[in-house]
Amino acid sequence: MLDLLPRLRRFATGLAGTPADGDDLCQMTLERALANRHKWREGTRLDSWVYRIMRNIWIDEGRAATRRRQTFVADEAGLAVGAEGAQEPAVELSMVDRAMQSLPPDQREAVLLVMVEGYAYKEAAEIVGCPVGTLNSRLVRGRDALLELLGEVQ
Amino acid sequence: MTVSRDELAAFADGELPAGRAAEVAAAIEADPALAREVEAHRALRKRLAGHFAPISQEPVPDRLADMLRPGAAAEPTGVVDFAAERERRQPRPPVPRWRWVVGPALAASLALVVLFPRGDGGSAPYAGDRLASVLDRTLVAEQAPGADTRILLSFRDGDGEFCRAFSGTGGSGIACRDERGWRIETQGEGSAGAQTEYRMAGADEASVLARAQEMASGPALDAGEEAAARAQGWR
Repeated sequence: MLDLLPRLRRFATGLAGTPADGDDLCQMTLERALANRHKWREGTRLDSWVYRIMRNIWIDEGRAATRRRQTFVADEAGLAVGAEGAQEPAVELSMVDRAMQSLPPDQREAVLLVMVEGYAYKEAAEIVGCPVGTLNSRLVRGRDALLELLGEVQ
Repeated sequence: MTVSRDELAAFADGELPAGRAAEVAAAIEADPALAREVEAHRALRKRLAGHFAPISQEPVPDRLADMLRPGAAAEPTGVVDFAAERERRQPRPPVPRWRWVVGPALAASLALVVLFPRGDGGSAPYAGDRLASVLDRTLVAEQAPGADTRILLSFRDGDGEFCRAFSGTGGSGIACRDERGWRIETQGEGSAGAQTEYRMAGADEASVLARAQEMASGPALDAGEEAAARAQGWR
């Protein structure tokens, strides 16, 4: 699993948006993976198993964060106060980061799994826990959005 | 033969079955537009992979690697001591977020009563006694939901002065503490001529908060920082 760590950090950063949040996500993932290691079946791919744990945690955290937002701030107020906390420590986001962050979670993870982590559609679908067709259409939409945002040339 | 856009993408990903892939390859050969699209997909993939590659190449932080080293995190029984691990882990300083500070105040302050007293003239107005005492004494965390004048948040401006965004029926604004008192920096639009007794919190406060964000040199003060600032008289 130590060998997997660099890749896990990459995936976590892509999901979470910043290296710091990514490492926190990584840490939670490792904690859960270690606590549940008896559930991993010998002979299955360890990397897919851990990736799945990570994306599940990320999805759950995202839902919780959305709920908190909805509880405390009306949409209008939230917008007026400043897009996503304009006063947080200035993190200069690159074009790619910004474009990735603009994708809905399901598209973002599909794009990351296939285009960054290099999983086949089928493997990525297993990690996400959805049919291949569903993953494919998320990937297509996410990719189209990125092409639009980033332009087709480098 | 027609090639769908999905198929082109799948082709670029190497996900088409061999037979179909050969057909699509032939179609691409014959059609520069298709070729360009496949190229765009490949370029995007390359760009994304290149963007994230450095993360997987840099050294893994110890706090993560240590969790996986034999003996480091595991007790003799093989049970991982997460509590100890958590203690060892470097806590990241909490980042105060505007919405946590601002949200409850905005949600709760539907209407705000009282005049907005003015200072004694001069170029920059200063808060009158009543407002000044609210500014001096009230902490965001402690104020009553129905208070006449509410503090929305506190922050330091570029000059290091403590400033507080407030809201009341008479209007909302931002006051900064200098040697003379609470100098009114900004007043929410429409605060001067408000005729109705009850107004929705909203546009006014939003513009004040937007202004606060421009003025502030850092995040809003959290409860502890605010209490400390009050203890030293906001100076």
